[in-house]
Amino acid sequence: DDLTPLGSPPLSPYDVYIPNPFNPETVFSSHLEVQQTPGDFSSVDLSFLPDELTHENKDQTVTRSENEVEENCNSRSQPSGEPLPSEQDVSLGFTSNSLSNSLAHLHWGHANSLQLSPEKSNTLPLTSITPMTPVTPVSECSGIVPQLQNIVSTVNLACKLDLKKIALHAKNAEYNPKRFAAVIMRIREPRTTALIFSSGKMVCTGAKSEEQSRLAARKYARVVQKLGFPARFLDFKIQNMVASCDVRFSIRLEGLVLTHQQFCSYEPELFPGLIYRMVKPRIVLLIFVSGKVVLTGAKERSEIYEAFENIYPILR
Amino acid sequence: MPGGGCCPDCGSTELVEDSHYSQSQLVCSDCGCVVTEGTLTTTFSDEGNLREVTYSRSTGENEQVSRSQQRGLRRVRDLCRVLQLPATFEDTAIAYYQQAYRHPGIRAARLQKKEVLVGCCVLITCRQHNWPLTMGTICTLLYADLDVFSGTYMQLVKLLGLDVPSLCLADLVKTYCSSFKLFQVSPSVPAKYVEDKEKMLSRTLQLVELADETWLVTGRHPLPVITAATFLAWQSLQPSDRLTCSLARFCKLANVDLPYPASSRLQELLAVLLQMAEQLAWLQVLKLDKRSVVKHIDDLLQHRHMLVRKAFRDGTAELESQKREPQGQEQRQGKEEAGSSSLDLSERKRPPSPALLLPPCMLKPPKRVCPPPSVSTVTGDENISDSEIEQYLRTPQEVRDFQRAQAAAQAATNVPNPP
Repeated sequence: DDLTPLGSPPLSPYDVYIPNPFNPETVFSSHLEVQQTPGDFSSVDLSFLPDELTHENKDQTVTRSENEVEENCNSRSQPSGEPLPSEQDVSLGFTSNSLSNSLAHLHWGHANSLQLSPEKSNTLPLTSITPMTPVTPVSECSGIVPQLQNIVSTVNLACKLDLKKIALHAKNAEYNPKRFAAVIMRIREPRTTALIFSSGKMVCTGAKSEEQSRLAARKYARVVQKLGFPARFLDFKIQNMVASCDVRFSIRLEGLVLTHQQFCSYEPELFPGLIYRMVKPRIVLLIFVSGKVVLTGAKERSEIYEAFENIYPILR
Repeated sequence: MPGGGCCPDCGSTELVEDSHYSQSQLVCSDCGCVVTEGTLTTTFSDEGNLREVTYSRSTGENEQVSRSQQRGLRRVRDLCRVLQLPATFEDTAIAYYQQAYRHPGIRAARLQKKEVLVGCCVLITCRQHNWPLTMGTICTLLYADLDVFSGTYMQLVKLLGLDVPSLCLADLVKTYCSSFKLFQVSPSVPAKYVEDKEKMLSRTLQLVELADETWLVTGRHPLPVITAATFLAWQSLQPSDRLTCSLARFCKLANVDLPYPASSRLQELLAVLLQMAEQLAWLQVLKLDKRSVVKHIDDLLQHRHMLVRKAFRDGTAELESQKREPQGQEQRQGKEEAGSSSLDLSERKRPPSPALLLPPCMLKPPKRVCPPPSVSTVTGDENISDSEIEQYLRTPQEVRDFQRAQAAAQAATNVPNPP
């Protein structure tokens, strides 16, 4: 386990780190790419963009949004809590199209509360902006998408079940009433496990997406149906979603617990990871020194993404 | 027997104080009737017979508190006394126990959990006063399982909504090192192994700080790191005599339990020291290994800040730049080639390039390569074919076979064993 030194010339610590340059052009080109998706971002005003960077076919959206914003300016008085800025507030927390819509809405929500002067100068606005909320430059947006690892869902089959009969007639079922009062059934595609109770309630675990969980639950219901019970498929609900990802840098857990004491629980004597209980959205994150993050407790996929985007700047 | 006591049986005034084991009794010396006995008296009759009644038993304050809670509170006090904690800690721990007891979940818990709860209250009190007490110590004292302890501890912190500060590493080093029995000559500790406490403490602290800086402490149990650091500090203070002593023997001498991870922490710490040694010109030529580097720990610790900076480069930035700039990698490779050629020329005149400063878990190659997640096009509403479902059902013949096999298995378990 020795750290074998490389045969390269000694680099000063600052040579190796090549920060992703905060290049305004890349910001705007990707910003414009985002504009390609119809509908979602139509309420965004583009008038702060210097003229040379806007496409000709964007003029319509620009003018439309300008009109919208002018209406907003006229009709709206002081937005609640926020002082009217003399310059723009830009939230640049977006890069790729892979961000989910709800996430984009989060960021563009800031842009709506703008007070603007449509006749903005042609200088690069980024240098003249005094942001009210912290500007998240492109280099800080994570670009990492947490992968779903497990979905737990429940469904009501709405009929009393004879667990002994199910265990007898189904190959993929195990039933040990002394150990647990439910039949444990497994199917191969999607690879999941279900707990089927005599009351007719069922828990389905192991799926990697919401759709797969629903499909798997339907398959279990179909198996129960074929065994002769009048099974239905009522109140399918996703109860928990677990996702994981890797931020690719090491994290000082002790430092994190000092700055966010009210949310963090770090007991190295018990568990090597830090338990971060985020309030909004209500998600629990397990953060490890290697940079791996596990997110759990979500009922919706958007909660996972939101939680990760919230934690990423904290970890950096 | 002085005082106005009369035997209710024979009326004699000859009452003798006698003890039956630990229970003091007043016995009539004439007829042998027991006049008063430990718990079978009232305060009034006790005081009538000149027996002293303690305040807590006469005021009825404990009648509000259930017996189980009383027992728990007594255990809290006992634990505080065993650990020789200051008096204020006792009151705080008692308060926490009472606070916890108000919750129905705790009141209805098993005795094992209530016992562990005692330890949790004491631990939280110590942590809040920065008194270095480890969970391992409490579990040993309470004969409790660490799993049960951890569950109860996390539940209690959440229930009471407490902010518990982290274990203070520096204080833990001081108390833990002081428990090593190496500071006086004894039958088991020869003179050459005896060490000055202050010197050992300061050097251990420096080594622990070094370990913390080089990612050996985060995410790990703190105690094994301190054990390894203490061992290295002790060895380095007199290397000629002590290099032959192993870590296990050292702990035995010092009358301290050897935690299992301590040996791997020791290896990691030695690797870090070797990295640092390669930055010192006069140590480079010596071609140190894990045993000989111990002799030079003194020098290495003296210049540790500068050496760590030189010996390691920021691992975080390295990974990120590798991820984002593939052309940068080629650039670096180019530099490496140039470097290696110049290396041939200037035979080890320069120190080798910095290694990555990362936690050991990130330096090891990944055990298994995670396959990139496949994009699933499942909608959840697809048709489910009958054949797919039928593959999971038993045919009637299979059902009969299975039932027969089950019956046979049942019969086999029911048959009594042959004599």
